[in-house]
Amino acid sequence: MTSETQGAKRSAEPIDLRDLIETIPALVLCALADGSAEFANRAWQEYSGRPLQELTGNGWQTTIHPDDIANFFHESTAALVSGKSIETEARLRRADGQYQWFSIRKTLAVSRSQSSEPSLRILIACEDIEERKQEESARRYSEESYRVVVETASDAVISLDERGAILLANPATTRVFGYDAGELLGKPLTMLMPEFLRKLHEAGFKRYLATGQRHINWQGTELTGLRKNGQEFPVEISFGELTKDGHRVFTGFIRDISERKQAEETRKQAQQTIQTTQAELARVSRLTTMGELAASIAHEVNQPLTAVNNNGNACLRLLAKQNLQPDVLRRALEEIVAEGTRASAIIARIRAFIKKSPVEKNRVGINEVVGEVLAIIGHGFEENGILLQSELAQDLPPVLGDRVQLQQVMLNLIMNAIEAITAVTDRPRLLWVESRIDESGDILVTVRDSGTGLGLEADRAFTPFFTTKANGIGMGLPISRSIIEGHGGRLWAAPNFPHGAVFSFTMPVADEGPS
Amino acid sequence: MTGAPVVFVVDDDPSVRSSLKLLIGSEGLQVESFDSADTFLQRKPPDAPSCLVLDVRLRGSSGLDFQRQLAARNIRIPIVFITGHGDIPMTVKAMKAGAIEFLSKPFRDQDLLDAVRTGLEQDRARREREKQVTDLQQRFNSLTPREQEVISLVVSGMLNKQIAGQLGTAENTVKVHRSRAMEKMCAQSFAELVRMIETLKSPSERAS
Repeated sequence: MTSETQGAKRSAEPIDLRDLIETIPALVLCALADGSAEFANRAWQEYSGRPLQELTGNGWQTTIHPDDIANFFHESTAALVSGKSIETEARLRRADGQYQWFSIRKTLAVSRSQSSEPSLRILIACEDIEERKQEESARRYSEESYRVVVETASDAVISLDERGAILLANPATTRVFGYDAGELLGKPLTMLMPEFLRKLHEAGFKRYLATGQRHINWQGTELTGLRKNGQEFPVEISFGELTKDGHRVFTGFIRDISERKQAEETRKQAQQTIQTTQAELARVSRLTTMGELAASIAHEVNQPLTAVNNNGNACLRLLAKQNLQPDVLRRALEEIVAEGTRASAIIARIRAFIKKSPVEKNRVGINEVVGEVLAIIGHGFEENGILLQSELAQDLPPVLGDRVQLQQVMLNLIMNAIEAITAVTDRPRLLWVESRIDESGDILVTVRDSGTGLGLEADRAFTPFFTTKANGIGMGLPISRSIIEGHGGRLWAAPNFPHGAVFSFTMPVADEGPS
Repeated sequence: MTGAPVVFVVDDDPSVRSSLKLLIGSEGLQVESFDSADTFLQRKPPDAPSCLVLDVRLRGSSGLDFQRQLAARNIRIPIVFITGHGDIPMTVKAMKAGAIEFLSKPFRDQDLLDAVRTGLEQDRARREREKQVTDLQQRFNSLTPREQEVISLVVSGMLNKQIAGQLGTAENTVKVHRSRAMEKMCAQSFAELVRMIETLKSPSERAS
């Protein structure tokens, strides 16, 4: 309070002043020089939940937080005497026992009654600042936690001013770029990027300041950084902007992603290696199995054939010399029959080996089979730049068949088509898969490609061990044909116009019945 | 005296073995068959032209290994290989090691019999050459040391007079030694004697 208002108080009636004090929301107390309270207003009584008689004397002091009492009374009365009001902060006990922060203003008042000596009183007015205090604490907490985050972040955090000069660099900046913060402050950000990015950055930065148009995505853009030792490395940066005291400040998080990149690269390579290995393994195991099977067939069957030939030839020679004894002839014939039987047994065994699993025929939707195979091949089309068009007739009746075998056939036809198409470089790479009901009511599936075509060898495509592929064994189509024929259908090849080949197969529709 | 030619068959498949025996036997050849290389080795080598029909794939050791074993033991029997699954490197190896023929089963009977005859003929010729050398050696051994000395000098191109001078004897004595040696060696002419001595000097060269 100023001396003027003090002057005004002196001329007013004390009772009026007290009434006035009772009405204001601030907590007001009037204490004597010895600290004993003479009066506490209603607000104080209500806040503390105590009646006036408990507050008068030294009772009011119990409403001050014990930790704040020393501070509360620290200010000497001398200061008050000089006419200044004193401001401080303290927690006051609420009726429910909770303490809240108050701003305390203590003012010296001199009352002069007519009858007695002028007496000194201290007016204590308290204003609730709990909310402000909490906000302040929250702000301080947020500032502190921001500082902790920036200081301990593993990413480099750098702030720039409007000129692009570095205002702040956290400790991680040193780890990432190799410069001490001192070497960076005030320097342009461009010192942390390789030559080829500097012009781009400067132009982009200028444009952004002028037009607000960003030249890079500010969230997680991958760029190249430059370490103090001259090494370039991949970084991922995120930038944000704020305005402080009318100046724009840009803060960026810069993450060294060399390790991540390397890990990605390693993973990609590993994946590729696995794929190559798997493909190679599949091919080799197929070739080995077939090669071994073929060698084994040759050797197994050649033994009895040799014996049959030798016996027959020997008899012919003896006969020509008219020297064939009946018992010699009988023994030779017996051996010939025995060896013939042996050869058929070998062939039966091989056949049983090839058809190891019994065929399991169920009602199968041919479109489902096609869909499953297309899904298996999946990105094989995109990888080879092949445009796939499928026209599958809706509501086709099911066929009776072995799902796995039919998948094998579809897979074989489509893989053949893909191989034939990928040899083509000078025209579109197209693959059509179609299913429908043909004129005779059977289900017809065609696989049509724009590949190299069959040429004059169309007829031979189904001959076992005939192949046009460098790595083929020439068993795919013969096996496919025998599977389709085993299902009562037909499989054939025809040229496609103007380029490529069409492979088609038919299958009879399954009879009505339980599926 | 050498006996009738013999063909040996080594194959572990009994039906192939017996059919080979019948086929080769149908040509009037004597055939002996064995189910393994070891049983064949137990048989005493015959004193007759012989030939071996050998399956490449044998139990225990391969036919090619067996070919090497025979060569190491200096058993110089011509070999006709038969195989159920021959490949080119295998064929080349066998032929380089001196095989007569390398036939894939099932083979043409004529091819096998031709190969067997070639083998027998080769073996007969070899035996003949070896026998000639042995005979010559026996005859040469029947000469006295003096006679051997004299004809060695004779075939080197020296005249009787020169030989007499070198040996410190009379020219007539040399003439006597020389005619006795010619007689013992069964040489009809001086030229034949020279050829005989040359054969004895390098029997391995001439036999190969």
